[in-house]
Amino acid sequence: MKFIPITASAGITGFESPASDYLQLPLSLDALLIEHPSATFIGKADGHSMQGVGIYSGDILIVDRHLTAKNNDVIVANYNGEFICKIINITDRELLSANPRYKTIPINEGDQFTIEGVVIRSIRCHRDSQLLAKTF
Amino acid sequence: MFALVDANSFYCSAEQVFRPAWRDKAIIVLSNNDGCIVAANKAAIALGIKKFQPYFKARSLCERYGIIVCSSNYELYADLSHKMMQVIGRFAPEQHIYSIDETFLDFNDCLQTIPSLAIHAQKIRRAVWKETRLPVCVGIGKTLTLAKVANHVAKKWPGFRGVCALDDPNFMQQVFDRLSPIDVWGIGNKTSKKLVEQGINTIQKLRETNLKRLPKSLFNVELQRTINELNGIPCKLWDGIRADKLQIFSTRSMGKRITDIENLQQALAKHIAIAAAKARQQHSLCGTLLLFASSSPFDQNPISYRVTIHFSQATNDTSQLLNALSESINQLFDASVHYYKVGVGLLNLSNTKHQQFDLFNTHQLNSPLMNVLDSINQRYGNNSAFFATQGIQENWAMRRELLTPQYTTQWCDIPKIGC
Repeated sequence: MKFIPITASAGITGFESPASDYLQLPLSLDALLIEHPSATFIGKADGHSMQGVGIYSGDILIVDRHLTAKNNDVIVANYNGEFICKIINITDRELLSANPRYKTIPINEGDQFTIEGVVIRSIRCHRDSQLLAKTF
Repeated sequence: MFALVDANSFYCSAEQVFRPAWRDKAIIVLSNNDGCIVAANKAAIALGIKKFQPYFKARSLCERYGIIVCSSNYELYADLSHKMMQVIGRFAPEQHIYSIDETFLDFNDCLQTIPSLAIHAQKIRRAVWKETRLPVCVGIGKTLTLAKVANHVAKKWPGFRGVCALDDPNFMQQVFDRLSPIDVWGIGNKTSKKLVEQGINTIQKLRETNLKRLPKSLFNVELQRTINELNGIPCKLWDGIRADKLQIFSTRSMGKRITDIENLQQALAKHIAIAAAKARQQHSLCGTLLLFASSSPFDQNPISYRVTIHFSQATNDTSQLLNALSESINQLFDASVHYYKVGVGLLNLSNTKHQQFDLFNTHQLNSPLMNVLDSINQRYGNNSAFFATQGIQENWAMRRELLTPQYTTQWCDIPKIGC
């Protein structure tokens, strides 16, 4: 008969944490900010026309393409080849600003226009972010 | 039933996602070092662009018609591909990602829940466009090869608008009569030529072919499998599609010609590191290392050198491969040559599980070190840690002069949205 020797040892293990039964995953900002990861993109607001809904120049916009825009949603559109962030008025085919100093933009026949996604969150950095400032 | 979903000129379409002004424009994408045209969309091809042509030959055409030219932005393509695959994956219980822009879906476990495959395919196409702004084509068939045939029809035949399901016998007959063997997945130019010589010039004729009656040179198992698949008998499955690679190559042309031995060694070392990491990822050991370096084929006197090194004990340890490089660099270097292209091949690969040990071997694989190296580079990005032989300044690095921003992977590159 063969014996396989196994060394026995006793180590110091300490006391199990009383909280170990209550472990949960830490809070994730991704989970809070992004609902459809594969259909979401992130952009940077540039301009002052949306201040009335709390979007200031330089803010980060989370744009969800899975959702279908409803009346008065804040959206990102491709308007004549450029991304713009506005409030959509579907019934009157208009793009509204949230700043009285900016005009309403009517969507005309000849315009290139598609809704690119719904802005579901916007983020403001109250101190500068190193990541956003980084240039190569 | 299976579906094959693939993106239409994926690299070009990816460049259009965050550039709405480019959405309806002709676009081409260049290879590493901006040398060759590797992708061209329909609009560019209509203007006379040919794929795989050297860029310098097409430059005047591009300028004349305002064709948009991009360096390849692999960071962007990889991220958009991942998102596209996620969206497509929602539509079937099983998915196999075949390449950066192609994926198979398996509906066989859920056919009862899909009343119309053609409508299902339309839904896939619409969802991918809505959520990723990438245009895709969907082909559906009873086998992977038939799904690929259907995809061809969806893409090339007018009126199909990117979707085709081979589920109706009459329609399938039309397709089989109209397409040639060359349109079938896995049949290359050579085989197709030989088949045509035998009078087999449609898919229908190929389906009816008894390979045993043809000249022996035509017979091979792969072709028989293809014929079975065309007859609706599944022979190819995920695992068979891509086994571990039997050879790993890493090769590239230089942004700037190399004329000194140090830079030549660094460039080769870099490719060794890339190839060795790939080998470790698929648990392979390399028995033979191939090193090559050459001037440009467009030079007056093209010249190339190569060295083959056999290891008594197979290895995937970067440091051992680099030692082999140091010992043979003199055989590759010639001071009169302006090196344009270098490369590394790991051949004679075997699985680490079946490693043969050598009683007298003095070189031990340093697997723990390699594990740490690979983990660091996975966690913190490629080249976070590397061997000094690779050099710190890549004087010969890739030229990407027309590179678009990495919109989805670098915070400083995220798209601007006008407010």
